[in-house]
Amino acid sequence: MKRSQGFTLCLSLTAVLICLGVLLSVQFKSMDTKERSLYVQRPENLIAMIRDLTDKRQKLNLEVNDLSRQLITHQDDTQDDQALFQSLSAELNKLDIVNGSKPVRGPGLEITFQPYSSLFYGDISKVVNELWAAGAEAIAIGGQRITADAYIFYEKENDAVHITVNNIRIPYPLIINAIGNANNLEKGLTLPGGIIDNLAYFKTYPRLEKKEDLEIPAVSSVPYFYFMKEYVPPATDPTPAPSADKS
Amino acid sequence: MWAILPIVGLLIGLVIGGFISIEVPAAYVKYFSIAILAALDSVFGGIRSTMEDRFDSTKMISGFFVNALAAALLAYLGDRLAIDLYMAAVFAFGVRLFDNIARIRHLLIDKWRNRS
Repeated sequence: MKRSQGFTLCLSLTAVLICLGVLLSVQFKSMDTKERSLYVQRPENLIAMIRDLTDKRQKLNLEVNDLSRQLITHQDDTQDDQALFQSLSAELNKLDIVNGSKPVRGPGLEITFQPYSSLFYGDISKVVNELWAAGAEAIAIGGQRITADAYIFYEKENDAVHITVNNIRIPYPLIINAIGNANNLEKGLTLPGGIIDNLAYFKTYPRLEKKEDLEIPAVSSVPYFYFMKEYVPPATDPTPAPSADKS
Repeated sequence: MWAILPIVGLLIGLVIGGFISIEVPAAYVKYFSIAILAALDSVFGGIRSTMEDRFDSTKMISGFFVNALAAALLAYLGDRLAIDLYMAAVFAFGVRLFDNIARIRHLLIDKWRNRS
């Protein structure tokens, strides 16, 4: 009897203690949270915390400034690079056009020599010269681009004489295309006593036609330089080197 | 032999409380702590009465809950009324707690002396 009573006592005590345990641990946790909350901090601690955080914020601000400055420099760099790249590619494009590495188009003059016109290669040369002189920007003879190193010559086959450009035979009708101010080009050719007048002596009457849109192809082979190098002027040395090799 | 059961119960309670994710809102931590003080007082009172052989489980359990609730409510009321009833509860339960602990100590010493 006594024993079972002790057991019930223990049991109820245990039940109560379980409740107490739950309460205690919940309270511990809550206190933990509360201690961490700013609400209950002492003013001195709060001041110290504020000072710490202010310091930290200043440091972070400095870092932000630093990083944004870096970002700006990087952006500038890339912008510079881009600008450089653009100007370089524009330059390259220009050089391509000038060298004839790229096909070009534009208004100009088309000169057509009919077949069996008594044409000497020198006449073609003169026409080309005249066109350059009249401000032609690009010239092609029978689809062969005339560049700085183009040469106009002739080729004999049986009795026939063919005009060649860069050793390529140009078939008739021989067509010279020149891009430029069509009026100027025409005037350059039809000057009194000019090349057209001259050709008229030989009963050669080329047809001149102003065209709104001419197409001039690129050179068939890009020139390659084996011997030519860029000339770099020698740097003027302020202290002349002692002439040791005076034998 | 049964004496170990309440201690196990306390540990179980602590573990349960550790696992359940209930947290007392910061504003009520104060009232909760006073409730715990009251509960502790009830537990020590229970232990003491057990040792004095006049334990009444109904009284103890009711005391546990009613005291805890009353302490918390009084503390809350005190705060509303701008009276530090909280302090009164701390004082009352603190005194009783120490009293109970002292009695338990005395009883244990007496028991130990009687045995030897």
